[in-house]
Amino acid sequence: MAVRVHLSSNLRGPTGGIAEVEADGSTVGALIDDLDRRYPGLGDALRAGVSVVIDGLLIAHPEYEPVADGAQVYFVPQTAGG
Amino acid sequence: MSRVHVTCTINGDPAEFLCDGGQTLLDALRDEVGLTGAKEGCGTGDCGACSIVMDGRLLCSCLVLAPEAEGTTISTVEGMASGDDLHPLQQCFLEGAALQCGVCTPGFLVAAKALLDRNPEPTETEIRYGLAGNLCRCTGYDKIVRAVQAAATQITATNES
Amino acid sequence: MTVTEPKPSYKYVGTRPVRHDGLEKVTGRARFAADLNMSGQLHGIVVRSPHAHARIVSIDTSEAEAMPGVKAVITGDDFPAVEPGHRQYDMCINVIARDKVFYEGHALAAVAASTRDQAQAAAAAVKVEYEVLPAVLTIDQALAADAPVLHAHMMTAGANPPAEEPSNISNITRFSGGELDAGFAEADLVIEREFTTQPVHQGYIEPHACVADTGQDGHTTIWCSSQGHFNVRSSTATLLGWENTRIRVIPAEIGGGFGGKTTIYLEPLAVALSAKAGRPVKMVMTRDEVFRATGPAPGTKLRIKLGVKRDGTLVAGDAYLIYTNGAYAGPGGLLGAMTVFESYKIPNFEIEALDVVINTARSAAYRAPAAPLTAYAMETMLDEIAEELGIDPIDFRIQNAVTEGDPSTMGFPFARIGFVECLEAVRDHPNYKAPLGPNQGRGIAAGYWFNIGESSSATVNLNEDGTATVVTGSPDIGGSRASMALMAAEELGIDVYDIRPVVGDTEAVGFTDVTEGSRATFATGMAVVEACRRMVVELRGRAAKMMGVEVDDIDWVDGQAVYTGSDGDKAPLSVAEITAKAKRTGGPLTATGSLEAHGAGPGFAVHVCDLEVDPETGVVRVVRYTASQDAGTAIHPSYVEGQIQGGVAQGVGWALNEEYIYDSDGVMENPSFLDYRVPVASDLPMIDAIIVEVPNPAHPYGVRGVGETGIVPPIPAVANAIYGATGCRIRDLPMSPIRVLDAITSNGGSNGA
Repeated sequence: MAVRVHLSSNLRGPTGGIAEVEADGSTVGALIDDLDRRYPGLGDALRAGVSVVIDGLLIAHPEYEPVADGAQVYFVPQTAGG
Repeated sequence: MSRVHVTCTINGDPAEFLCDGGQTLLDALRDEVGLTGAKEGCGTGDCGACSIVMDGRLLCSCLVLAPEAEGTTISTVEGMASGDDLHPLQQCFLEGAALQCGVCTPGFLVAAKALLDRNPEPTETEIRYGLAGNLCRCTGYDKIVRAVQAAATQITATNES
Repeated sequence: MTVTEPKPSYKYVGTRPVRHDGLEKVTGRARFAADLNMSGQLHGIVVRSPHAHARIVSIDTSEAEAMPGVKAVITGDDFPAVEPGHRQYDMCINVIARDKVFYEGHALAAVAASTRDQAQAAAAAVKVEYEVLPAVLTIDQALAADAPVLHAHMMTAGANPPAEEPSNISNITRFSGGELDAGFAEADLVIEREFTTQPVHQGYIEPHACVADTGQDGHTTIWCSSQGHFNVRSSTATLLGWENTRIRVIPAEIGGGFGGKTTIYLEPLAVALSAKAGRPVKMVMTRDEVFRATGPAPGTKLRIKLGVKRDGTLVAGDAYLIYTNGAYAGPGGLLGAMTVFESYKIPNFEIEALDVVINTARSAAYRAPAAPLTAYAMETMLDEIAEELGIDPIDFRIQNAVTEGDPSTMGFPFARIGFVECLEAVRDHPNYKAPLGPNQGRGIAAGYWFNIGESSSATVNLNEDGTATVVTGSPDIGGSRASMALMAAEELGIDVYDIRPVVGDTEAVGFTDVTEGSRATFATGMAVVEACRRMVVELRGRAAKMMGVEVDDIDWVDGQAVYTGSDGDKAPLSVAEITAKAKRTGGPLTATGSLEAHGAGPGFAVHVCDLEVDPETGVVRVVRYTASQDAGTAIHPSYVEGQIQGGVAQGVGWALNEEYIYDSDGVMENPSFLDYRVPVASDLPMIDAIIVEVPNPAHPYGVRGVGETGIVPPIPAVANAIYGATGCRIRDLPMSPIRVLDAITSNGGSNGA
């Protein structure tokens, strides 16, 4: 399943600065595994305190979140609050 | 060190307690008498959460030594309601959502009652200055001032009818 | 005044019932943490460092232990060792220092005795030998090439190339988009400004307090006030090296938190003292301790450069942000970077943010952490630009405001948001056109906060009489019980006063995260709704049994089971009729909802501050204040207004008065409400709150968190209004009388550039 993955600019070190990449996977966790194969080191970056936005929904702990074919997945830093 | 025996009137009832000479009246009310409505927010008279009325004067009970209460008449927030009938200030605070966390509320109620007792129809400015010794960090004071205004109107109307 | 989009009509949601816990709170009966006493309890006192930075050479507790009434003395040695890399290392060594103290007021030992006086005397008798180290007290000192390094293990995270030597920079965050140089080349106007701000305290009126009782079986119960008792449990267990199940935390009423009670200070000390003494131990901080040892929000140095075209289109932004999080790593810079440009369409941008450690108390969250400061910088600069271009400040913001589909700084497209609606709401409010008098000025500013979701749990129990008890794990900080009851009433169709909302302890309700990120009504509300919807499924099933029909033929309408089948008429059954027969239809009626809430909708706010400056003294008096905020859907409008108004008051205090002041050794000089002056009633006017409702599509009732966003706009709104009144731009906080007067006199009222 092809998914369009968008990386916030602080997560682009392992991609050499590329902001949008293709990845395969039916869950966010599977996407991360695939991305780590394509861009070694990216997996660690995406597993450490990172949220995703899918279809406008901010999801803080997304590892098992399903991803539909053709979805747009945005990886962003995790937020905190008071 | 021997303890000091204090006899006074609290919320209309005769009361006695033992305290240390250096104990604050706030601590004595809370720890010896068991009235925990007055709160300690600062211990230095700056926040008003411990407001009480002693012999007709609004005071920060954290600035009064407990033995000074000997022979006095004290009112606390616990004495504001008559049985099940809330004081109009209490009712207006509830209806006007004039409390959020609620920890400053007893002090505000006591201070507001003292204000209305001596000035039944205060202006907004008089309310704001009358309550300037009480800190609230939640509400921005808007709803507190409005609740006091509403209570003043209600009390005045009741007294006139 | 409420601006409303078309929305479903609700019977209870959006009404203003008296809060369920109100009676207890206006009669003095509500039990806050310091109001609790256990029979046989001891009093615990913390021994704190007088030095801002020192190595602990030795601690001698022998004299203290021998003093009258003393039952236990503990130091860092009474807790399991922790090493850097431990998940909660900073929290652990902050609660009780090990080999070093990092700020004046840092806890390093604690004493329990029969009376507070005895404990205080014994605490004073604990002998500590220090090797005093040079203290790092400012951002500039922390970044100096020869700066003493606070933490030998601190390698800057996010550094590129990776850090090879330890430093006082805990973290670097970088975001970028577009082409910065090309963006500035397109600009007709470029301005660059620098700002400084000082740490401030949340200023909750209730000092931290707890009682801990450790039994013979090694299990402990803690009564305390916090923004999340499950976090108190897990953090305390981590510090003690215990399993969570050895600790039960019972939430007391909480007397304000604003982020400052999302972490812990006293509880592990009370548990350790209680375990050692075999007695309950009560600990209550003094206000002095609260100021010295808990929660300031970060101080900052900010530099921002903006480029704009003549027609008002923002084209480029460059931000360099430094936040100090006190003595430990913190998220200030990261959150500053995530908020600084978030409200506006800026196609070309670069943001670099540093988090820096210094020898002051460990920062804690404070209501929209970091955002009020980036807003101070951004929104005052936007004001300058709007004036320079001759565009109305609101029209200028509307022109550049993010709307649905626009990309955030982090790249994702915004869902439905209400920023433009908030701008329009204040523009259309009569206050925006109210005449100003001499020496008065008007300032407008906007604010943004993400809001967050996290985990929440709720249990709904229907009682025998048809009333309901709704148990959640979220402490009620400002009226959330009423919000939970309103949503439950709407779902179940029973009167809001027939619902008893309860905050359950760690053994009475499912796991619930800390109340932070304005999440209680949003996320815990979702759990309540989920539990209620399961309950309605159950109620329909019970009604079907009672009517002898198929469940598919039962609808739930206005609190009644209504038969919709074709087998003749059947009288509807109320909740009370169903619960009365619960024993015969399957037993008690209970339902739970537990979830990880996704889709916390961002909150936007726009404020207008009118104020008057006394040109003789520099004293600023706020004369009129108008605040709009998108609440999504206001569940209890009075408490939404209250959150907005409270945020305004805190923000005005931050703008005008509040700051931590240290002497040259790092000793705090103003640790009291006399010298750290928060606004009082006579400092403020009424605050006109405008609730804007652009429902959050991710919440069943459209809720967005409202607790935090309201503190974001006031600082720049005040600064812009001071400019309007005096012609002076003040770029350092607080804008105290002396600073305002200096600005007026030294610049002849014209330091606008």
